[in-house]
Amino acid sequence: MRAEIYHRTIVSLLVLLLGLPVAATLAYSFATRWGATVLPDGFTLSWYVQLWQDQRFLAAFFRSLVVGFGTLAIGTVVVVPAAFVVFYRFPALDKVMGILSLVPFAVPPVVSSVGLLHLYSDGPLPLVGTPWILVGCDLAIVLPFLYRAQANALGAINLRDLMDAAHILGAGTARAFLMVVFPLLRKGLMASLFLSFSLLLGEFVFANILVGTRYETLQVYLYNVRQVSGHFTSAAVMSYFFFTLVLTWLAARLGR
Amino acid sequence: MSIVEVSGLAKSFGQTQVFQDISFRLKSGELVTLLGPSGCGKSTLLRCLAGLITVDAGRIAVDDRDITGTPAYSRGIGMVFQSYALFPNMTVAKNIAFGLAMQKLPADEIAARSAKVIGLVELSGYESQYPHQLSGGQRQRVALARALVVEPKILLLDEPLSALDARIRKSLRDQIRDIQQRLGLTTIFVTHDQEEALILSDRIFVMDGGRIVQEGTAESVYAEPASQFVARFMGHYNLLDGTQSKALLGIETTGYIAIRPESILLSDHPTETEEGIPGVVRRRQLLGNIIRYSVESTGVSLSVDRLNGSADDLLPEGAAVRLRIDKSILREVH
Repeated sequence: MRAEIYHRTIVSLLVLLLGLPVAATLAYSFATRWGATVLPDGFTLSWYVQLWQDQRFLAAFFRSLVVGFGTLAIGTVVVVPAAFVVFYRFPALDKVMGILSLVPFAVPPVVSSVGLLHLYSDGPLPLVGTPWILVGCDLAIVLPFLYRAQANALGAINLRDLMDAAHILGAGTARAFLMVVFPLLRKGLMASLFLSFSLLLGEFVFANILVGTRYETLQVYLYNVRQVSGHFTSAAVMSYFFFTLVLTWLAARLGR
Repeated sequence: MSIVEVSGLAKSFGQTQVFQDISFRLKSGELVTLLGPSGCGKSTLLRCLAGLITVDAGRIAVDDRDITGTPAYSRGIGMVFQSYALFPNMTVAKNIAFGLAMQKLPADEIAARSAKVIGLVELSGYESQYPHQLSGGQRQRVALARALVVEPKILLLDEPLSALDARIRKSLRDQIRDIQQRLGLTTIFVTHDQEEALILSDRIFVMDGGRIVQEGTAESVYAEPASQFVARFMGHYNLLDGTQSKALLGIETTGYIAIRPESILLSDHPTETEEGIPGVVRRRQLLGNIIRYSVESTGVSLSVDRLNGSADDLLPEGAAVRLRIDKSILREVH
């Protein structure tokens, strides 16, 4: 009984600690004015209306979606066949891929962005300031999630026998992959895509250092409007938070 | 006329020679077992016959047509895997129809032919189930139906019963043999289980270390093992080396003397004057219808099998016995 009270207290405190800033931001985004008083003066939807009518916000949101979808489209086309080839033809490479996909975690974005600035600010590929460099960086960020999800799914099936069975029955390698293997990867792929997407929407360091306002994405926009009005920024943060929540929920549902 | 002719087949992975100098002929409608311990190259050989792995040397011909370089799908071969290899995202019906769909046959023909094999493997009513909803035995029957529906010239079975429990294994084993004989299908069955091989096969090819070390009917391979390895692998042969055989039987040999456990007669109330070799029962194992005694005589331990008759016939451990060994059925192996 005492142990239960203790556990409940700890969990409640944790939920409170994590939930309080979100709840406060939510309340602030609906408040007309919230200055010296304990409770706000009144509630309004006007910050949301203002936000969703702001062309700059809509453009930044759209750009984030473009970069996110672009990255994940390229990521899927590259990673899914790569994972298949690794497991089907070169199983020893799985370890190499594992290490490779950990690199983005090992090098902090602040550090790698300095290198990237040097490399791509001029020379044969002057990508700094364009969305392309973001797509490249984001690919590196989501690679571990995409690859691991595929690797787990491929490791859980008897890939060689399935491919052999399909081959004997008359399917070529590409056909066997599309008809037999890919449907088994789809669920894991969708879950990892939603998770990666919400991760990319929140990416700030690379976007700010390498591109900044030249191709303003959602996080850079949030940063730049932080001085405008606390209520307005809160509405923006809550909109972003809600969007991410939906994506994460979808990922969790699909991953079951 | 032989339908399958294999000559001089060899395969190695890097430095490891998987099998070499494999040659055999199969007659039409014959069921042949590749029998051997794991790692002897039998499964790799089967995959080479199926066209899933290329061979380094040798020739495979079916109906006088050289198929050594032919891709798997146009060899006219059906294969069943130990892991079933059913497509988890497809229903039983879709799994079975896969090969026919790949041939782009009309839908009504696919349906008719699928229904026929589904009836053959007794899976009617399960068409819309997914593999994960079926038992192991049912899954393997789906795999069998999927291999049969394309009407292959040769059926290859790679340890199809190994993943099943004993009861299902026996009934499916009989069902496979029954279907194979009804269709008159030339079949190669890979197994490491000698009992399975003895029951199923028209002929057995015993493999060891990447070579076929003996081939023949089940009866001949069991009764006349060509080597010490086959004797050990096929049954619970007693193998006596030169010293042991001299001491026990007075026979000199440079190899081994193989004695089948069921060919030794035990006399359980020996008299002083009775013929036979004196021994003592050291251990008794009940194998169902057979009781296996471990009998020690002149420092040699022998396995002796007796039918499990009445309880009065049971010999206790420590009992003094006399062994009678018919020397005409002894075999000398190397």
